[in-house]
Amino acid sequence: MSDLNRRDVLKLGAVGAAGAVAGLGFPAVIRAQAKEVVMLGIWPFTGAFSDVGPILDRGMKMALEERGMKILGRPIKYITRDSATQAGASTRRVEEAVDGEGAKFVIGPWSSGVALAVSEVAKRKKVLHYFSGGTEDISGARCHRYSFQWAASPYTAAKTVVDTFMKANPRAKRWHLLVADYAFGWSVEKYIKEVGKTHGLEFVGADRHPLGEREFSNYVTKAAGNKPDVVAMINFGLDAVTAAREIFNFGLTPKLPLIMSWSSGVEELVQLAPEIRENLWVGSNFYYTTDTPVAKEFVKSYQAKFGGPPGYAPAAAYGMTRMLLHGFDRAKSVEVQDVVKGLEGIEVNDLVGRMRVDAQTHQTLRPFFFMRSKPKSAMKNPMDFADIIATGDTPLPAQYAACKDIGSF
Amino acid sequence: MSRAWLAVLAAAVLLPMAVRHALATEIWIFAIFGLGLNLLLGYTGLLSFGQSTFFGAAAYVAGYLLKHYETNVFAALGVGIVVGAVSAALVGYLCVRRSGLYFIMLTFALNQMFYFIAYQWTTVTGGEDGMPGIGRPALLGVDFRNPLAYYVFVAALFLLSLWIMQRIVESPLGKILQAIRENDVRAEAVGYDVPRFKLLAFVIGGAFSGLAGVLYSMLFGIVPLEAIGFVFSGNVLFATLIGGSGSFYGPIIGSFVFIWLSESVSVVWERWPLLLGVAFVIVVLFFRGGCVEAWARFWSWRERRRALAGIAQ
Amino acid sequence: MLYALMGLGLSLITGVLNIPNFAHGALFAVGAYFLFSAIHAVGNFWLALVLAPVGVALLGLAIEYAGIRPLYAAGHDYQLLFTFGLSLILSEGIIVVWGPIGFSQLPPPLLRGGFDLGFIFYPKYRLFVMVMAGLLVLATWLFLEKTRYGAIMRAGIESKEMVSLLGIDVHRLFTAAFALGAYLAGIAGALTAPIRGLSPSMGVDMLGIAFVVVALGGLGNLLGAIAAGLIIGVAQAVVALYWTEASVAVIFAIMAAILLVRPQGLFGIR
Repeated sequence: MSDLNRRDVLKLGAVGAAGAVAGLGFPAVIRAQAKEVVMLGIWPFTGAFSDVGPILDRGMKMALEERGMKILGRPIKYITRDSATQAGASTRRVEEAVDGEGAKFVIGPWSSGVALAVSEVAKRKKVLHYFSGGTEDISGARCHRYSFQWAASPYTAAKTVVDTFMKANPRAKRWHLLVADYAFGWSVEKYIKEVGKTHGLEFVGADRHPLGEREFSNYVTKAAGNKPDVVAMINFGLDAVTAAREIFNFGLTPKLPLIMSWSSGVEELVQLAPEIRENLWVGSNFYYTTDTPVAKEFVKSYQAKFGGPPGYAPAAAYGMTRMLLHGFDRAKSVEVQDVVKGLEGIEVNDLVGRMRVDAQTHQTLRPFFFMRSKPKSAMKNPMDFADIIATGDTPLPAQYAACKDIGSF
Repeated sequence: MSRAWLAVLAAAVLLPMAVRHALATEIWIFAIFGLGLNLLLGYTGLLSFGQSTFFGAAAYVAGYLLKHYETNVFAALGVGIVVGAVSAALVGYLCVRRSGLYFIMLTFALNQMFYFIAYQWTTVTGGEDGMPGIGRPALLGVDFRNPLAYYVFVAALFLLSLWIMQRIVESPLGKILQAIRENDVRAEAVGYDVPRFKLLAFVIGGAFSGLAGVLYSMLFGIVPLEAIGFVFSGNVLFATLIGGSGSFYGPIIGSFVFIWLSESVSVVWERWPLLLGVAFVIVVLFFRGGCVEAWARFWSWRERRRALAGIAQ
Repeated sequence: MLYALMGLGLSLITGVLNIPNFAHGALFAVGAYFLFSAIHAVGNFWLALVLAPVGVALLGLAIEYAGIRPLYAAGHDYQLLFTFGLSLILSEGIIVVWGPIGFSQLPPPLLRGGFDLGFIFYPKYRLFVMVMAGLLVLATWLFLEKTRYGAIMRAGIESKEMVSLLGIDVHRLFTAAFALGAYLAGIAGALTAPIRGLSPSMGVDMLGIAFVVVALGGLGNLLGAIAAGLIIGVAQAVVALYWTEASVAVIFAIMAAILLVRPQGLFGIR
């Protein structure tokens, strides 16, 4: 009888006969836990981000298949659940996967609000949770021992974007910001303004739009009225794509440069016609021309499999899974708490270059990319959107760190 | 005790053995929510598309108290019921004088308004991120963090709600509401203050929604933004219709079918809302009256076959 | 003006058929996707713009005939369940057919670029859409006011019994009204595609606004729907200038406020 099994029976005994009967419903599951390592991908297959769910799933699967679906000699059982980009549904489904399927390692989802809910489950159920990015809180105000963040800190992103852009356009001092109105948008906005000070930037306007806004004409005319040298957007997905279209329709781009500060890269760029992409500058956590051995290998096999280059989403799922597996290797154990310790302070050369996990905050310290999109004439193929012009990895300065104490298990 | 009650009791005992405790708990919470709606829909003939207003408002207020003051469970539930009732009184006051499509749209629009308040008021509600960190304080030494203990608690509250609702429906008030559903002009002519009774139905329905909202926030430890969104209002409405709004037990069956199906199908096929849509259409075109009617028809079909077989012999 | 177009179609459907059409947003999205496919099939924006909404109208015809017709006696709850189910099927169907990732559709070359009005740069295509939508609203209006069919439709809103007593086939009237409403939603979607692009969720985003427009204008009041559409559009634009965060919330706030003062809608008579 395994450790888990015993604990389960004890627990059940304590809560009475009805519970014991309930436990008998799952003997097969409990037995399976002893052999397999169950990993859950909680991805948005329906709802607001239904377009990204399937490609996230691909990325995670690829990373697991590379290892032959095995870790430390044990078979990995990969299961997925639909996050539906709803906190309630995700919470319920993650709990179900943990209780019913014995999942101990959770990766995902895609939206920050839902991720925070999943992070709560991870804390409560004591399972490891790796999330890509889009909130400052996972490795900040709501940090705890079980959750990790893969994407760069918003400070890293803001610094890379502003520094590089100013180097290329030293005279573009008048900035207009268009910010998605939620916590993460505000953090990036805060840091862009902070970094902007060192360049003597003037922020002639900063408008916030609700998430899911589809009518950007008013924002765009307002931005045009401010006569900026550059428009910088801090929004994501369909909001960013719709806004970029409208900024082009109103004739701001390509005359003015447009910055997408925190973009998913390929997934967003592919939705924009080449004309709209002219004079577009893009910050992202991944771009497929990233010059590392791991990335090259990944892009090659991804392209062979799916016929197009991977964007941020599959790369994040792939990268997170790889980091998690590195954690197993370092811990030489498949127990959750050992893997957490294995990840804390780990340092590897992986998907995007040198990657470390800060033990104090569980933030992955890593490079962030800044790209300049290519004009139509310079594109070598329909997916040849942009060149990486810079990478930056300045970590969040200590005075901004909101994770004071990561706590215990 | 009637046969239906025995069936519900048996279901309450058997359900946690068949499905996970959290899912079983959610089914009963949703059933409480549905009971509140059905008083409006099935008994008063008011199609409210804004029930999540009361559900969400109660969840936020009680969740806030639980999170920051670690209030007693019953205090939180009480507050939630009051918030549900008061918000329903507010919305009801604006809506009960309208009828038909107008009524539906008004409840829908007011629901949207509350949604955007919750969305914008980030300091309290957390906006898009939801309001996490809601605990389940122990009661009389019972630790509700244990899923089964919480299930028993919720199931007991559900049975209590069911009993109260049955008393309401069978009371003179319930009869008046049904009279209003059948013909509100006549009810008015007989001397009943129809808008006042409609409002009363709203308040009672709101109280039930409020109770469900608090239980929901405690179940998941978070009040997600969607708890006050119109999709949630739609879900409880559709669950009730699928179950059968004409029947007292319809919402319970609907809640079971809706939650359990959407849960199991979503694992199988990621485009499951498509199937859900097809299910809606089938229910509407062939089983208007929901599962309760489908069941009744199945029985009468069997009876007829038996009778036919009897004749043949 | 687009809001007016959406509202007009929905108002027609709710007014004549007396059903809450939750699939109206999905029809809007289908219109946009039909345009996208039609452009790829025939290679001409203008022809596609003619074809796509006709396709949506035909779809509406089929839906009314097969699904909604049995429901007129069924009560709003089942009509709602049906149209909502339909909307799920259509929007999930879009994902199945066209995939979950959105597209960009540029305006035809003739309408690219814009006019520099000195203080503001206005895209040509937006101007075109405004004129088009205005013309369509006008044409619909003339049709309803000046033609025999239009008169029957208006009569259908006022009193179904009267129309059927006059020996007019009410069912055919209903089918025609639904198809016309679907046509207007479809062409609104098609016209929007080059502005906002295409995505499977575009219908849901539009549905709430359409309902507000109809409720504001007064149920079945077509002129009211047009006016309300314009009011909402302008209000949203003005609020976005001064208090951008509230530009969505303001729609519902306006609606709640007006319905408090005038429960029958701005121009409603019932």
